[in-house]
Amino acid sequence: MSDDAVEKIAQGEDLLSFVLSESKRLGATDADAIYVTSDDYSISVRKGDVEKVNRSLSRGMGIRVFRGESQAIVSTSDLNRNALSELVREAVRLAGETAPDPYAGLPDPADLELHRPLPDLLLEDDSPEPSSRLRLEIALSCEKAALSYDSRIASSEGAEFQSSRVTRQMGNTRGFLGGTRRTNYALSVTSIAKEGDSMERDYWYDQRPFFRDLDSPEAIGTESSRRAIRRLHPKRPPTGNARILFDPENARSLIGHFLSAISGHSLYRDATYLKGREGTSVASGILTITEDPFLPGGFGSRPFDGEGVRVTRKEILSGGVLNGFLFDTYSARKTGHKTTGNAVRSLGDSPSVGTSNILVTPGSSDRAALLKQMGDGILVTELIGFGVNTVTGDYSRGAFGYDVRGGEIMGPLSEFTIAGTLDSLFLGIIGVGSDLSRRSSIICPSILVEGLRVSGI
Amino acid sequence: MSISEGSTRESQETGRDLAGFFEHRFGATPEVLESVMNLASGSHVDFADLYFEHTVSETMSLEEGIVKKAGSHVSQGAGARIISGEKTGFALTEEIDPKMLRLTMATAREIALHGGDSPARTQVGKMAHSHSLYPVTEEGLVLATDVRRELLSEADRAARAYDHRVKQVMVSLATEVKTVLTVREDGQLSTDLRPLYRFNITVIAQNGTNRQTGSYGFGGRVPFSSIPDIERIRSGAREAARQAVVNLDARDCPSGTMAVVLGPGWPGILLHEAVGHGLEGDFNRKGTSAFSGRIGEKVASSLCTVIDDGTIPGRRGSLNVDDEGTPTSRTVLIEKGILRGYLQDRHNAHLMGMKVTGNGRRESYAHAPMPRMTNTSMLGGDSDPKEILESLDRGIYAVNFGGGQVDITSGKFVFSTSEAYYVEKGRILYPVRGATLIGSGPEVLTKVSMVGSDMALDSGVGTCGKDGQSVPVGVGLPTIMVEELTVGGTA
Repeated sequence: MSDDAVEKIAQGEDLLSFVLSESKRLGATDADAIYVTSDDYSISVRKGDVEKVNRSLSRGMGIRVFRGESQAIVSTSDLNRNALSELVREAVRLAGETAPDPYAGLPDPADLELHRPLPDLLLEDDSPEPSSRLRLEIALSCEKAALSYDSRIASSEGAEFQSSRVTRQMGNTRGFLGGTRRTNYALSVTSIAKEGDSMERDYWYDQRPFFRDLDSPEAIGTESSRRAIRRLHPKRPPTGNARILFDPENARSLIGHFLSAISGHSLYRDATYLKGREGTSVASGILTITEDPFLPGGFGSRPFDGEGVRVTRKEILSGGVLNGFLFDTYSARKTGHKTTGNAVRSLGDSPSVGTSNILVTPGSSDRAALLKQMGDGILVTELIGFGVNTVTGDYSRGAFGYDVRGGEIMGPLSEFTIAGTLDSLFLGIIGVGSDLSRRSSIICPSILVEGLRVSGI
Repeated sequence: MSISEGSTRESQETGRDLAGFFEHRFGATPEVLESVMNLASGSHVDFADLYFEHTVSETMSLEEGIVKKAGSHVSQGAGARIISGEKTGFALTEEIDPKMLRLTMATAREIALHGGDSPARTQVGKMAHSHSLYPVTEEGLVLATDVRRELLSEADRAARAYDHRVKQVMVSLATEVKTVLTVREDGQLSTDLRPLYRFNITVIAQNGTNRQTGSYGFGGRVPFSSIPDIERIRSGAREAARQAVVNLDARDCPSGTMAVVLGPGWPGILLHEAVGHGLEGDFNRKGTSAFSGRIGEKVASSLCTVIDDGTIPGRRGSLNVDDEGTPTSRTVLIEKGILRGYLQDRHNAHLMGMKVTGNGRRESYAHAPMPRMTNTSMLGGDSDPKEILESLDRGIYAVNFGGGQVDITSGKFVFSTSEAYYVEKGRILYPVRGATLIGSGPEVLTKVSMVGSDMALDSGVGTCGKDGQSVPVGVGLPTIMVEELTVGGTA
């Protein structure tokens, strides 16, 4: 670790210790706090020239205080010690105004991850930062590859190279103090294809914790334009039931809906269609989902959760059977479970439930084999809108994609919806691909579903 | 807020006092501002600004009948921006002192000008013209914690009393006071004190294993002393409960392309997605919008006149000045079906040779401004809303929605119903389960065949996301008949 990093971490620990001891001094019975600093640098180019460069160093402190069973949460970007003391005082006052809740409180000390050193999960790139010139060249060559791909690429919305270095540290009054540092490098471009009356946009990207692992700018630019061009002159599909193949980028969103439906917070609120379904088949037998917080270089990797609780690798869904819900300390106590180390914490709110890395066990079919298995149907490459309700399980979203006949991709399709229920969608999965996408904390292949309703002409 | 006690001045008159707020708090004296803005000057600089923000928000939430959480959040910082031609340099600092301010502007300068050009002198001090759409006194910004608590409990009681099938009630109240100061390259100063509140009720009703949700919210830029309106809170809670209970009887929504009648108010989200985003200046300058180059063309039926108006007093989407120091305005986007204008910030208006419209908005000091909507609505027409519904032969009558989204390049947009009914021969037959409606922005308004006389703005709940930035907005719509829209049901 660099000297700069060591100093930064020491500064953060100092600040955390300060607010925790102030909390105690000012009347809190318990407290926890999170401190996040972020160094962001983005450069975007358009039409071969710099369009925008953004440099920011930002930081924030979030504090939760308890007075017995009552709590309050405060946050600030002002790190002046007097201001922090004032804010803690306000938090303690506010905690006196909320109702006692017997389930509220810090985790049991036995659940805290107190083992040190924390494992190195390969989340931070320690090599020298790319120079400003190199960043510019990367963005320019990405856009150039996009623009020169085909004469129908009319313009681009620009290419952007971004990097961030984020330090998250947290501590509580029961002896937990720990942190993670992670880097992220991302390159993206949006291509605009135009021919006659038809204008379509698509994009491509890559992101990695280590700069050297990033896909080449040329590959990203080319893929973006390839995707945009094949969308030109879309038709609308007929209304009716159809098999749908979700590409990995979109299958990921389905897994996301499922994960929010098995949150302990949704469970105690009776706000999930999966309530009472633990131990039963809630998805097709070919679907298995595992959470792995320790995946080296994973976007969701973390050695402890948002409350400082120990984390473990676990199978969430085994051959379609739901093994259980995901809990933080609060939702576990509310429902008579133990925390599963799934707390996530943001600056301005108390913990909620979320996941680290999620792996969908891949099948043996590549994309071509899945298309062949589908026969006739629609390959979906983009979903838009918010028509997903995990309380009722209703699912209805706008989509873009491709008409597939006899396993062959025909023309592009647009202005249609796909709808069903999350229950029928997950039980209706008939194929899981081998084409894992690793660009997110949810690592997922293509997923083939039958029984969904397509609404078009 | 640290404005001196006992003050009862209106925000417009306190422009210089608000500048004094930043001077007192961060040492941003006129001399310091000039020394920073000198770094933002030069013959290659087209635009530059230094934006100070101090925001205090207070939140409280109730569930299971008790107030479980209360919070207070402070966000402060300064963003520096220099624009030269099509290039923008942006930097921010959360440590606000004269040295960091100069360093931040110097960073923006280095980015935009690559060390070229030489700084000149800037005279800071001219105050921008500004509206007074949400005058507040200092007392008006205070709402005691116990009053907040009581309002949440009142909503909880009203929602539970509505129907025995109401099982969960979640209520939240958030207030925010944002104080901003913008200094431009020409030395113009503008300040604004922006109150904003939002009250929200979400209800889950249950009948056996059938669970349904309903939600209702309201808010705006008004003194917080006006929030304790018990009748409004009770009726809002009953409205959320009513939606959840109605949905217990919902049947599968039909699918396919059919006629849709949209109710007044929040269904105006249609305009926001179908035309609003596509008319923002940045997309049109770059030629990436489905509406690019189409000013003067017919893009809607002649019954449709669509405006964006940032000057409506007290509304969630309203601003006295935008985040670049331009007073907001009322912009006609579509007049009797003809496309008339775009929404502009300074940069895009300049590059397109059009006039600024006061739509340069930013989420916070950590983000650069871009053209954004304020309150977007359609003017009322001549039709009786009842007759519009009665003339629906077979289709959907949609009165409440969740969110929406648009692909501005292809113009395809979606919005998702949260309360809608299946209608045959003008008669409402039954409620339908949530469905996404999809259409094409440049076409959908050409299919509007009736416009009601009941234009209403939404109750003050909209938040618009673009390029990772969220800003509060409003929408409005009279009852309208859309002859063809694709309904994403399951039946």
